[in-house]
Amino acid sequence: MDVLTIGLATFATIGRILALIALSVLSGWGLAYLAVKSRRFENAYVPFVNVLESIPVIAFLPIVLLVFIQGLGGFWGVEVAADFLVFDAVSWNVWIGAYQAFKTVPEHLLEVSRNYGFGVGRTMWKLYIPHSIPRVTSNLFSSFADAFFYITVSEVFTVGVRTYQTFGIGTLIANFVQQSNFIGVYYSLLFIAIGVIIVTALLNILSRRGVAKYGVDTSYEIKRHSPWLGRRFRGLDVFRNRAQYISRYAGRFTHLRHRRGLGENGGTPIRHLIRVAVKSLIFCMGIAVVVYLVYSSLAIAFAVPREQWRSFLASTPYLLYSMGADYVRVIVVTLASLGLAMSLGYLLATHHRASLTLAPIVQAISAFPAPAYFPLIFIATFPIFSSRLPAAYSTEIYVFTLGFLSCFYYVFFDFWIGVQAIPSQFWEVMRNHELSFLTRMRRIILPGTFPYLITGISSTINSAWAGIEIGEYWPNIDGSHSLEVRDGMMKYIGLNMSNGQVGNAAWVSLLFAVVVAIYGIVFTRNLMDLARRKYVVEEGVYAA
Amino acid sequence: MSAGVAVSADLGKGRSQFELECRDLGYAYVNSKMVFQHVNLKTYENEFVAIVGPTGCGKSTLIRNLGFLTPPTKGQVFLDGNEVRKPSSKISLIHQSIATFPWMTALENVKLSLISKRLGKDEADRIARDVLRLVGLNGFEDYYPKEMSGGMRQKIAIARALAASPEILLMDEPFVHLDELTATGMRKEIYDLVFNPETSLKSAILVSHNLHEVVELADRVYVMNGNPATLVDEVKIKIPRPRSHRDPIFLNCVDRLYDELSENPNPTR
Repeated sequence: MDVLTIGLATFATIGRILALIALSVLSGWGLAYLAVKSRRFENAYVPFVNVLESIPVIAFLPIVLLVFIQGLGGFWGVEVAADFLVFDAVSWNVWIGAYQAFKTVPEHLLEVSRNYGFGVGRTMWKLYIPHSIPRVTSNLFSSFADAFFYITVSEVFTVGVRTYQTFGIGTLIANFVQQSNFIGVYYSLLFIAIGVIIVTALLNILSRRGVAKYGVDTSYEIKRHSPWLGRRFRGLDVFRNRAQYISRYAGRFTHLRHRRGLGENGGTPIRHLIRVAVKSLIFCMGIAVVVYLVYSSLAIAFAVPREQWRSFLASTPYLLYSMGADYVRVIVVTLASLGLAMSLGYLLATHHRASLTLAPIVQAISAFPAPAYFPLIFIATFPIFSSRLPAAYSTEIYVFTLGFLSCFYYVFFDFWIGVQAIPSQFWEVMRNHELSFLTRMRRIILPGTFPYLITGISSTINSAWAGIEIGEYWPNIDGSHSLEVRDGMMKYIGLNMSNGQVGNAAWVSLLFAVVVAIYGIVFTRNLMDLARRKYVVEEGVYAA
Repeated sequence: MSAGVAVSADLGKGRSQFELECRDLGYAYVNSKMVFQHVNLKTYENEFVAIVGPTGCGKSTLIRNLGFLTPPTKGQVFLDGNEVRKPSSKISLIHQSIATFPWMTALENVKLSLISKRLGKDEADRIARDVLRLVGLNGFEDYYPKEMSGGMRQKIAIARALAASPEILLMDEPFVHLDELTATGMRKEIYDLVFNPETSLKSAILVSHNLHEVVELADRVYVMNGNPATLVDEVKIKIPRPRSHRDPIFLNCVDRLYDELSENPNPTR
């Protein structure tokens, strides 16, 4: 075992993850802008992200095989395929977080930007992006954690009989497990722990600075850079307090407009034409995608024999029952995650010293790849559970644990940042009127963090599926036992995939996608609309 | 000595009971030098006290220290002779930035301050409606802050503070975000409102930059200056009410305060 190789592999994996997180942030800003500007795009975008977030990473393997392995081939084909799988793990919650932040920009700030005729770029740079910094930084914890959770299936993956792997700690762990080299696994986990602690400490600094600088009147002091840090964080200096930016820029821009003799509400005909052309192009692209999807779907539907359709329809009631059973599991996992967020998350957000010690622990737990260490938990606990509980109950406990470990941090970190972003005046009112913990939570904290909670709960629900999928059907988890629930949609998919019954798996996946899309519109979008109308905490202080 | 103005030597004569007192108060941010220090002040029953000082001298922090919303680094605060060690609804703060909860109606915003009193729903409702009426918002109980003007929102915040039956009202530039017409109207109302027999208030402390506002409202003015800042003077305003901005004595008082502030210009933080 080469410790240097483990160190380099950890470094490569962390570099890969951070680069892909940066890509997901940039793309998330662009897509969120389109979503808040176009209701049609929003109606497609929100369910789309929800569906993709709900689909576990390994479901993308056929796409990976087709597009990257066969298309690009060689070293780059495998590298880009692994990057795509990591991107799948990190991007969706960053995208939904950016959308949620853009959706809840205070109306009076939007009016200022409209008033001074800001274009798309300026509105993004001066308003939307700064406003989204606290929420995007809060999602970086989850993204980083999620990337590590799936690292053993992202950097090394098997399609058919061939295994593809790229250099990274996920690949090393997978190889060590295959060789039963547990010392190698322990060293790898140690290096991951060191890397996770360093990165999460940096993310912690970033998020606190983000909240202090871009949250509205939060109780956090804006930290000035020390000379040492200043040199390293100079990149952040391109941002300034958005209010200062808008007012300063507004003054300059108004001056320019007057000098050029432009009216207050005017715009050049060329700019208008460009705007119309861009809108038309986006609309045409949307239509083309819809036509292609409808055509592909019909082609597949007609290619399926009639008997197969009968079989699909006959199995549907059982599949819906299995889906219901899985939704119950997801709801239990979500409620447990919410409970942890509202207790420990609140404690960390309101006690700086506690956050310094406990936050890295929570971050480290969330970032550790559970599939890598879960067999060790199973080996340690199975004798206890099997002697005291019926097999079905102990299996459900393991499924719950895996589901919880795969997603609890979404709502936890979102709520944590949401609490930190509550304006200092609100805290003073709570202290001044001696409100109890429960009253604070019910009347102010939960409504005040409502947009954050919607994002966190949405991502928690969507991501719970991945952990549940692993837990519902895990053959030979410790070499002699298997984890298998009695009824569950994810087990059904896993069993049918391993038996080569891809059609059955595809049918239940389609039913699931429909349900998730409806959930995306009913839950995420509508609640986000409600948040926009009523629960923008910043409007409670600014509006004067 | 100008007419209408008395200095600290005259203060407190004839008064038997002070309400709020702080002794040797000082405040410093973490790992930073003192913002202000050696601050000693008292307020008496039915007295409207103002604190003036240049930007950055720590007026807003001082007022939060008095309510223990921000604990002082040094010194003690007493209310009715008892040391204040934690925030209490007996000392209510009205913010400079108008703080109303956007998801609550005007009535719900006001009822928030009554929750800790564990009143019945009807009783809390009645008190909240009474206070809203007192500040001139009857008929707007079910409106959300978003649906109201800046002045009306500040009245909600004032009503919320008054509903808690405080003994001391702390006001941190409460009119600074309002347009001049609304601010003028509210200044006229605030004194009567603060010392209305229907309220429990005994005294009020106002922090302000606006010297005209201070002279119009205050019975006594503390002048804060220096670096670190401290109280450099106390000025008693002896002009009969209602006070006119055009009154030469009024203008004399404003000039006096202006001179006090400009004598020792304080570099802003």
